[in-house]
Amino acid sequence: MTYVRRAWIVFQKDLLIERRSKEQTNALLFFCLVLLFLFQFALGPDRDRLAAALPGLLWLGFILAGLLALGRSFLAERENDCWEGLRLTPGDKSAIYLGKLAGNCVLMAAVELVLVVLFGVFYNVDLLTPAAPLALVLALGTLGLASVGTLFAAMTTQARARELLFPVLLLPVQVPVLLATVSATQALLLGQPLADVAHWLKLLAGADCVYVTIGILTFEFVLEA
Amino acid sequence: MTRVLGWLAALGLLAGVAAGFGYAPREAIQGNVQRIMYLHVPSVLTAYLAFGLVLLGSIAYLATRRPGWDRLAASAAEIGVLFTAITIVSGSIWGKPTWGTWWTWDARLTSTAILLLVYVGYLMLRGLVDDAEARGRYAAVVGILGAVNIPIVHFSVKWWRALHQPSTILGPGPSPIDPAIGLALLVNWIAFTLLFAYFLARRIEIARLEET
Amino acid sequence: MPANWSYVLAAYGLAAVALFGYWRHLARRARALSARRGAPVSYRTPHRTPS
Repeated sequence: MTYVRRAWIVFQKDLLIERRSKEQTNALLFFCLVLLFLFQFALGPDRDRLAAALPGLLWLGFILAGLLALGRSFLAERENDCWEGLRLTPGDKSAIYLGKLAGNCVLMAAVELVLVVLFGVFYNVDLLTPAAPLALVLALGTLGLASVGTLFAAMTTQARARELLFPVLLLPVQVPVLLATVSATQALLLGQPLADVAHWLKLLAGADCVYVTIGILTFEFVLEA
Repeated sequence: MTRVLGWLAALGLLAGVAAGFGYAPREAIQGNVQRIMYLHVPSVLTAYLAFGLVLLGSIAYLATRRPGWDRLAASAAEIGVLFTAITIVSGSIWGKPTWGTWWTWDARLTSTAILLLVYVGYLMLRGLVDDAEARGRYAAVVGILGAVNIPIVHFSVKWWRALHQPSTILGPGPSPIDPAIGLALLVNWIAFTLLFAYFLARRIEIARLEET
Repeated sequence: MPANWSYVLAAYGLAAVALFGYWRHLARRARALSARRGAPVSYRTPHRTPS
């Protein structure tokens, strides 16, 4: 069985589980709605204040939802005693990592799409004009979040206090991604052209390469015994 | 051997304090507060040395599985966190009379604070994983990622700062022109490195002893 | 520029407390380990195996 095929199987399995039970996606979608209200109440009725904080709020929303979604990446395997099955998979274990990563990216993409639409509707933001460059920023940022998140999720599944340890490990590492995406999003929402945020995009692309590479190289060490 | 290191470190620190307060002149613009630099800069350099060793130990452990490398990584991380904390606190105290505020999202302070968070997380991970062998592996992965992330953090924070505020003209930066200041800095840096080596040796020894 | 010695002393003082405190912590643990060699210690360290 080829490497790509193994990754694809993991990816398909996760999608299938989610499509059948929908428990995770429904909960996450509802969580997004709750966040929307939370942000509004936290910042008060001042329209301008909300508008100014919007890029940050958007990415905070992604990160909070991401913490929930990514932290549970390997929960199904652990709870159903399938962890051993993962460990005993022949060949390069990093195929599992890529399959899980792909699944997580799709999940995050769905969540982000919902949040973006909700933000656009509830906070009255024009998200259609900068849609294409915004999508690029979202894609790069999500990959950065998911790549490290998937790796750390595999680790913390075995640890005590995993719900606490996962954010504590992930968030400091994600700071550059957050800084880059919020700055880029802010610039794009203000109508600046894509060229203005090129350096942020390059940073994100570079960081993504580093994170995914480390994920591929080290996943087998995480999955051992 | 460790004893010798300890005495050398103590001597070095004494020389460092003497250099920082006796030999080095009072800085023109910032006054005596600038002397905190002889503590702050060697601290951060030592912290970087420590985290470099964490990276080395982490990679070597994953490659060889020899426990000695894991002991090195863990010990270096613990001491590195200590020196990072000292860096931040001394930087903050330096900042109060200089900028009028205890904390500012200055690029260097922010990057150092993130560094602290990453390696405190590393130590927390070590504390929460029961299986010794898994602990070494997981910690190594986090150690590698944390270290490789440092330049990414540096650039992102630097560009983020450029957006929000012009760089301060008056800041805790070394005044490189006066050679006396440079020499005092060098003496303190050597002293801190010796102290680090001494702490590291003792800490690794403790780790070895605990391995029943 | 005011003398600001209080800040300098505060910074050096805190650093001294931290470094000295850590040194004492290491010394104490080393002593405890030498005294009861092989006894399990609750602090998490690399490759601690229960005895």
